[in-house]
Amino acid sequence: MSSSHDHADDSEHEGPLVLAVSDRHPRVRTIQVVRPEAQDTTYLAATAKGFGITLKHFAKNLFLPLKKLSGRANAGAPVEERFRNDIETVQYPEEKVTYPERFRGLHRLTLRDDGSTRCVACMCCPTVCPAHCITIIPEESGDTSIEKRPAIFEIDELRCVVCGLCVEACPCDAIRMDTGEHAKPVEDRARAIETRETMLARGVRSIATQGGEGPNWRATAPDTKTDVNR
Amino acid sequence: MKLRAHVILVGWLASLVLGLAACGGEKTTPSVCEGAAAVPVACTQICTPGYPNSCPAGFHCEEQKDGRGKCDANCSANDKRCGDDATCSAEGRCQKESIVFRILDFPGTKWIFLILALVMPLASILTWMERRQSAMMQDRLGPNRANIGPIKLKGILHFVADAVKMIFKEDFIPANVHKGLYALAPILAIAPVFIAFAIIPFGPTIYPHAVTQTLDPTLLAMQPNADMFREAIRLQMFQVDFGLIFYFAVLTLANYGGTIAGWASYNKWALLGGLRSSSQMMSYEVAMGLSLMGAFLVIGSLEPGFIVMHGASASMSASNPLNWLWLWQPLGLVLFFTAAIAETKRAPFDIPEGEPEIIGYFVEYSGLRWGLFFLAEFIEIVFVAAVVATVFLGGWQVPFLDADGFRIGGYVDEVTKVSVGGWYTPLPHGLVVALQFGAFGAKVLLLCWFQLMIRWTLPRFRADQLMNLGWKLLLPLALANVMVTALIKLFFM
Ligand code: SF4
Ligand code: SF4
Repeated sequence: MSSSHDHADDSEHEGPLVLAVSDRHPRVRTIQVVRPEAQDTTYLAATAKGFGITLKHFAKNLFLPLKKLSGRANAGAPVEERFRNDIETVQYPEEKVTYPERFRGLHRLTLRDDGSTRCVACMCCPTVCPAHCITIIPEESGDTSIEKRPAIFEIDELRCVVCGLCVEACPCDAIRMDTGEHAKPVEDRARAIETRETMLARGVRSIATQGGEGPNWRATAPDTKTDVNR
Repeated sequence: MKLRAHVILVGWLASLVLGLAACGGEKTTPSVCEGAAAVPVACTQICTPGYPNSCPAGFHCEEQKDGRGKCDANCSANDKRCGDDATCSAEGRCQKESIVFRILDFPGTKWIFLILALVMPLASILTWMERRQSAMMQDRLGPNRANIGPIKLKGILHFVADAVKMIFKEDFIPANVHKGLYALAPILAIAPVFIAFAIIPFGPTIYPHAVTQTLDPTLLAMQPNADMFREAIRLQMFQVDFGLIFYFAVLTLANYGGTIAGWASYNKWALLGGLRSSSQMMSYEVAMGLSLMGAFLVIGSLEPGFIVMHGASASMSASNPLNWLWLWQPLGLVLFFTAAIAETKRAPFDIPEGEPEIIGYFVEYSGLRWGLFFLAEFIEIVFVAAVVATVFLGGWQVPFLDADGFRIGGYVDEVTKVSVGGWYTPLPHGLVVALQFGAFGAKVLLLCWFQLMIRWTLPRFRADQLMNLGWKLLLPLALANVMVTALIKLFFM
């Protein structure tokens, strides 16, 4: 049954009063539960306290300027942080949160130095794609060292599960998902299909060049994002 | 073509208004003082023009060419000088009754005015306010997007969007429901609330013939029939001695809406919700009625208009905030407000509905039928606010605004029961009425806001906690309140 050691241990930590301890599992105990009766009966004190908290938040959020949205609301003189309210809402179209570096956005096809696509139509990505949403029809590239290139390269963004396996699978660093853009809402399904042309238009040169390091695409990428929180 | 149509329409409306207005007013008949065989004694009396009580009853003061006044009458109560289309007023003038007045004084007109000018706007704005306010309390923004073109109004227009959405939703009736009761339930939920508004005095009595003048309350007390106070419009639809009892009786019917909705839906969860609604009603209704008994003992009337106009003590002006019942019945206020929140079936007493998970009696309702339940709830909020404002917070009284203007530190005349003296600024009657109506709206809005604060602060009570609260706390306290009030009244007042 209960050992004196357990009792001493509990009183030291001012835990609940232990009435009995199980023989087989010392951690299984019967304790005495004390409910604060005085608070339970009228609720008035607790109500007043809670009301104070909510009122404080309400007043602060109602009267102080927004913390976020540097666009309209806080234009003009900058407001000190302690005079801002607590509202955490991101007002989406006007303001966007910074995505993490490895956020998987819309696909792009990277370019060679001469502007042609790096893709060699090796069919690794359509093979690995769990959603079967990549359609590639290869053609002769004319360059014997490259052999093939995609005549048609389509990704159905409605079926894509954004797993990123295509990027992993590509041996040529030809497909990437680092654009930081969402798949856009569309009004008919056909427009959700990314074609070779749209993905090439989004693509800039790869970091990797043939035979070595190349320029950082982020440094050279056209600034397509309106990121107010940067 | 279009312009001409507009001109014709405006002209037609203008002539209608003018025509209606012309129906009322004075009819000129010869004076009784001239050409009579036996000239009444009063005809020889001198009086001060513009001060009506300087002549005997049945006579008014007619201004002479030299600026002095002479008592005169065009008719008397028992002759037929006015003809069939007019009646003889208390000051001896032939007065035609105005159709405009008839229309304005009709309870239905007042009801439409109250509903359209105060209740519906407030209830619709509450649907937005609740979401915006709860968001603010939880560090969110809430709905702020709905707009008509560039008009955004911080999202107030969301209620328009909601209404349009609900109207155009499919009116789906599930199989096996009791069709008649299913259709009746939302109406039963919303109609009693509208009816209960009949007892609420939402403004003072308007004296249309005195709107531009400063009212003389002493004159009103002494000569309530004077021509100046003719055609008075009392801003209360239903003035009965059992006003607050009427409210309990009618609003309890709204509960049948919930119970019947649950029963008619052919759904176990809905039925359980309806039963929870009835059991909850049992536990607060008794305490609610008793909590107002203290107020009844202090005031001596259950007529809301009387409560507002007289206040707790006869030795203070009714517009003095210290004379309002919150000071005389603080426990009654807390008890009644608690029970009234339970009546609106919202958190912390939303056991019948349990919006986030268990839903409740309207689980099978959709579209506008569900919208009616929802609207009824919001109108109940407004109603509870209106009752609390009327009974405990002076109703339409503006602090220190008497019928004739602002007065601080006056005293109440023993005979006329009118407060006089003190620091005093006169105001025209029309402005006083507008201020008092505005004050009522402001008080109601503030109390609505307070109810929303409570709703978003407290979590839901368990059913047993509600029963404990209702039967073991509210009821004994309400009884004690009645006892103590009665004893104080008996020995000290
Ligand atoms: S991200 Fe995944 S699902 Fe989308 S195209 Fe690439 S492999 Fe297919
Ligand atoms: S994108 Fe890469 S993996 Fe896909 S076909 Fe082209 S080279 Fe192969």
